[in-house]
Amino acid sequence: MVKVTDIVLWDKPGERVLLLGNQAIVRGALEGNIAVFAAYPGTPSSEVTDTMAAVAKRAGVYMEYSTNEKVAFETALSASWAGLRAMTAMKHVGLNVAMDSFMTVSYMGVNGGFIVMVADDPSMWSSQNEQDTRAIGKFANIPVLEPSSVQEAKDIVKYGFEISEKYGQMVILRTTTRSSHMRGDVVLGELPEEIKQGKRKFGEFKKNPERYVDIPAFQRKKHLWLLETIEKYRKEFESSPFNWIEGDGKVGIIAPGLSYAYVKEALAWLGMENIRILKLGTPFPVPYALLEKFFDGLEKVLIVEELEPVVEEQVKLWAYDNDVRIPIHGKDLVPRVYEMTTRRAVEAIAKFLGVSTPIKFEEIDEKYKKVQEIVPPRPPSLCPACPHRNTFFAIRKAAGPKAIYPSDIGCYTLGVLPPLKTVDTTIAMGGSIGIAHGLSIALNGALSEEQRKTGKEKKVIVATIGDSTFFHTGLPALANAIYNRSNVLIVVMDNLVTAMTGDQPNPGTGETPHGEGRRILIEEVAAAMGADFVAVVDPYDIKATYETIKKALEVEGVSVVVSRRACALYRIGQLRREGKQWPIYQVNEEKCTGCKVCINAYGCPAIYWDAEKKKARVDPLMCWGCGGCAQVCPFGAFEKVREGEL
Amino acid sequence: MKEYNIVITGVGGQGILTAANILGWAALRAGYKVRVGEIHGMSQRFGSVIAYVRFGEEVYGAMVPEGKADVILSFEPVEALRYINYLKKGGLVFTNARPIPPVQVSMGIARYPSLEEIKRIVEEDFGGRFLAFDAEKLAIEAGHVVTTNVVLIGALTQTPGFPLSEDHVRDVIKLNVPPKAVEINMRAFDLGVKTCERTCLLFNFPWVFDCP
Repeated sequence: MVKVTDIVLWDKPGERVLLLGNQAIVRGALEGNIAVFAAYPGTPSSEVTDTMAAVAKRAGVYMEYSTNEKVAFETALSASWAGLRAMTAMKHVGLNVAMDSFMTVSYMGVNGGFIVMVADDPSMWSSQNEQDTRAIGKFANIPVLEPSSVQEAKDIVKYGFEISEKYGQMVILRTTTRSSHMRGDVVLGELPEEIKQGKRKFGEFKKNPERYVDIPAFQRKKHLWLLETIEKYRKEFESSPFNWIEGDGKVGIIAPGLSYAYVKEALAWLGMENIRILKLGTPFPVPYALLEKFFDGLEKVLIVEELEPVVEEQVKLWAYDNDVRIPIHGKDLVPRVYEMTTRRAVEAIAKFLGVSTPIKFEEIDEKYKKVQEIVPPRPPSLCPACPHRNTFFAIRKAAGPKAIYPSDIGCYTLGVLPPLKTVDTTIAMGGSIGIAHGLSIALNGALSEEQRKTGKEKKVIVATIGDSTFFHTGLPALANAIYNRSNVLIVVMDNLVTAMTGDQPNPGTGETPHGEGRRILIEEVAAAMGADFVAVVDPYDIKATYETIKKALEVEGVSVVVSRRACALYRIGQLRREGKQWPIYQVNEEKCTGCKVCINAYGCPAIYWDAEKKKARVDPLMCWGCGGCAQVCPFGAFEKVREGEL
Repeated sequence: MKEYNIVITGVGGQGILTAANILGWAALRAGYKVRVGEIHGMSQRFGSVIAYVRFGEEVYGAMVPEGKADVILSFEPVEALRYINYLKKGGLVFTNARPIPPVQVSMGIARYPSLEEIKRIVEEDFGGRFLAFDAEKLAIEAGHVVTTNVVLIGALTQTPGFPLSEDHVRDVIKLNVPPKAVEINMRAFDLGVKTCERTCLLFNFPWVFDCP
């Protein structure tokens, strides 16, 4: 069996392999002799970190799952300051967390090549918004690299290290869900000796407070350096191997990043030749000299880019300043929201050129719309045996539908869907506790206030947050709530891994990819911070969980209940690998009255409705044996029938 | 061959990404340029999942454009319908016949269409061809239900016009599964091949065929 991690480490230059964009980035980092990698997982960037975790030891790279993106950024940055090549990876909203350090470090520069890999998520496949990181690069005056294929995703990393070192500034490597999660053919390059031998590299930090301390007196000078440096990158990018002009004709198309792939495909489908293309691997800063060459003799130009008009604004500004007076189209023809597709490129180019599309998309749309009326929805759901389902069920039973339920970012956000409906707000990592505290103050007042004790009916607020999220940004919010005498219940849904992004470890897991770490217990943290009530429950025991939550709700002040049970998906995967079995539940048809509590209130995806017999049924292939159904059924109709998998 | 486009759909957890990866590697070994598009993260949690496999002389994007899929390989019947807009005229919808009703259907707030209805839409509204068989049953026969995806891939290699050789695909599966699972997977592959072989070669198939 050839593992992908083996391929990423293969010492076979010239070999053609199929890699995921994120895996190719890791290969590129290894080819570029990376020394330190630190990240917090976030879809669509997570596989960069996971792949690195799998190969780090053999390649002599130090890697860690940091507790959040800011910490990860600082860890990798320090390595660069010590002269080593370093990288951090995050999703677009992760950069917001690291932003505080990021914006200031831009003035200080780096030593060893430093790449901040940021994966955007146009169309929000698994994200809360669709930020365009290229715009942040422009805002921060940090150069942005963007690959147009998996091959480039690999090659551009090494290039990134080189130009980062050349001008002493960090570089953003921006991908999107599509380029991160696209597999494509890649030709492997050479690995450096140090990586092949798995030799861990160490650096040296030379003190220089004027550079590394951000007091205003020092920073004022360095803001100028930042602006000078970005102009150097603009010049550098004129000859970047990731930028080029191809084709000839009177009309031109500018295509940054993956949009290049869509443009090429669209032109082939439209059967269009005689189009000049400016392919841009550096959407910021756009190199002016290339624009000059590209615009020479053109009659009109279209910019096909995903999300924000980042390149368009730079091009139009340049055109105005240089007296270039030809029509420049962009967001008037290309949508500003959601993902770029070949269809979108085809439609925009067809309009731009005044030709018709090769197939009538509207006809497909019309027929498709009718079909969708009869296709039942299938949103993602909490897995069978997911401990969160039981916790939510117990919370809702204990606190009732009138209680307010701030929640957080993780699998458990799915608790918003029927039938659980135990999520009323989510904004960002760690936000649940902050929102819960704010609502508590707004609705009830702080505990210390006289007003709070005037006998006004107390609004019950139950926040839910995952274990990894708790350590990510929940900690400061918890300290704040306790300190300011909030009146909330915080349920930490501890499934012992960072489940949503692929079962990465965190401080609550204790283990690191390289062996034992020091485990931190959430209940001990909460108690040490001074929570008024702390308890640990097992959500597979729904009744006990319910009773503990009831008790916690009677306590005035901040209560913390840790609901602890391993992620079902993770646990089943482990059992499968070990060849072990688990119980399977079935419905005893004689006992089932068809009341549908298991479906309408509990909602396990392994339970379905037999419309003919009017009974609930369990799909034995999907049952992972938590026994929650047996606990919620009022008639005892669910029975454990056997140990094991079919 | 200029390009060949496969859309793979089903429910998160059915092994869709593995199937896409296997087909992608097989195409790479056959010397084609390859793009595989996947959805990861939250969408995988028992939700509807789609993956794309594209290969040929020149391919760029990872997503199959609407109206351009040669095959929709569906691990669950209704999921074929959810992505039917990708099918090209004359394309094939090839589906596992066993439904997994979404929770919304069990709750009584949505209806699950019949196999006949799905077939009618594929053929009449989208000018496609439709083929369904119980791959899950064959997978269990092979030794494990998780090999349903391999049964489907085996069957796919026998569909008319499919450009990758059976042996290329078989080799890749061998390399991509743990050593102890090779035997079961090969059995599953062969059952898929056999089931589809004769019917598809003649291409005069009954739309649902019985498994031997």
